[in-house]
Amino acid sequence: MKPASASITCTDLTLRFPVYGVDAKSLKKALARVAVGGRLGRHSGVTDVTALQSVSLKLEAGDRLGLIGHNGSGKTTLLRALSGAYEPDEGSIEVQGRIAALLDLGLGIDPSATGYENIRLRGRIAGLTAKEIDDRMDEVAAFTGLGPFLAMPVKTYSAGMQGRLAFAAATAVECDVLLMDEWIAVGDADFQKLAHKRLLKLVERAGILVLATHEAPLLKLYSNKVKRLDGGVASEVMDIRKLDELLAA
Amino acid sequence: MDTATHMLRTGQRGTLFQLQMASRDLRNSFGRIGLAWSLAWHDVSSRYRGSILGPFWITLSMGLMTLGIGFLYANLFAIELHIFLPYVALGIVFFAVMTGTVNEGCETFVQAAGILSQTSLPMFTFVWRTVLRNLINLGHHLVIVVAVLIFYGYWRTANVPLALLGLVLMVLNASWLSMLVGIASARFRDIPQIVMSVMQFALFMSPVFWKPGRLKDYQAFLDLNPFYHLLEAVRAPLLGAPVEVGSYLFLIAMAIVGWLVTFLIFARTRRRIVHYL
Repeated sequence: MKPASASITCTDLTLRFPVYGVDAKSLKKALARVAVGGRLGRHSGVTDVTALQSVSLKLEAGDRLGLIGHNGSGKTTLLRALSGAYEPDEGSIEVQGRIAALLDLGLGIDPSATGYENIRLRGRIAGLTAKEIDDRMDEVAAFTGLGPFLAMPVKTYSAGMQGRLAFAAATAVECDVLLMDEWIAVGDADFQKLAHKRLLKLVERAGILVLATHEAPLLKLYSNKVKRLDGGVASEVMDIRKLDELLAA
Repeated sequence: MDTATHMLRTGQRGTLFQLQMASRDLRNSFGRIGLAWSLAWHDVSSRYRGSILGPFWITLSMGLMTLGIGFLYANLFAIELHIFLPYVALGIVFFAVMTGTVNEGCETFVQAAGILSQTSLPMFTFVWRTVLRNLINLGHHLVIVVAVLIFYGYWRTANVPLALLGLVLMVLNASWLSMLVGIASARFRDIPQIVMSVMQFALFMSPVFWKPGRLKDYQAFLDLNPFYHLLEAVRAPLLGAPVEVGSYLFLIAMAIVGWLVTFLIFARTRRRIVHYL
């Protein structure tokens, strides 16, 4: 089953969220503040952060968007919003197609379970049945290149090995939209070549790739469009050939 | 990662919209109940990885506790063993399901932080995961229940269908409590300690280790204890004793009011929970 066409549409997406300090996470302290009329602590420890400010975005099948911007500029927040985890405060997000998110390599993976179990777990989360997972287990296992290590607990893996596992497991499901955050830092040259092939195949299958990174060479390798985020405010989507202009701006 | 081929997320549009989104979350979670089930199984099997008996270790320690307390208290209270031991055995097993569901409820969302922050999976899936995990544990502990009922001959008078009804009421109530403390613990990190103390207090205040008949003037104290009704609804039918209609009314009212409150709080906090984590 192949959906007609993948697409992402964001209109005036604004995302604010509270950041809770240590004090704000304690009920006892919150109660004490009420009891003494709020004069115990100077402030409640909750800070509202506007992570994204009226971001609009329109992507269609075949688009490979690179997100650039400093740390804290809202790249990851935008990816999390696209994955459906964060809900907008204003505006809307519409995604057509199956989404696979590779935002945090370690997360969603149980460190004490084996590689095989983690592949199974991820597959189940992605909506595969046990049988479907068994059917593609060999292929996924081969793609990770981890061989006998797959039968060992993931906590014994190096970061690179975890990256291989996560990437293989996440892309094992036919996805139409792949969201990735700085993934390329892991894995050796061999694996990067494999990953590159798989990404290109994905995009050929009329998918969309959204990749957040700091590195300009990577962007040139994978993206055909680029968007710059600065303090939650986004630039227009530009052609990758204008990357240097954008970086200079 | 989600199988949904279409996702639409919009900004805040008032209370009614939040209620709609919350009920959609609940509906979707039933569609993915299989996922909750496999996560629960994964939890059980990974917790006891490498041990020969698996979850039966807990069953074993529970069995020993039952024997110890059964013999000792039967003597202390001067009750015959064949009456007291099955009573304590069932009490310990079923109270453990409640305590487990509520205490582990504190971890429901905190534990799922990694998955929740990069997918659009229903939040309720993780509530069911906690509930199902405790039901799987109960499945193991039923060995004690069955052994005791057979050994002391209660199987002849046990009313199993009525006990199952009691179990349903128990699960319905324990699950809203579990979800409520789950949301609260995501927001306030000192809640789990409070919940654990309360549940321990409830264990000693409820007739698990003692028989309510000896309470005399303080019957009202029991009637207001929800854990007493929860426990009696399952335990009494298995021991061939009747359950008061009042207990059923209490439990049904508790389930309705509890779920209503929990659901409203969920509707209000749903979009924030992921930021709490």
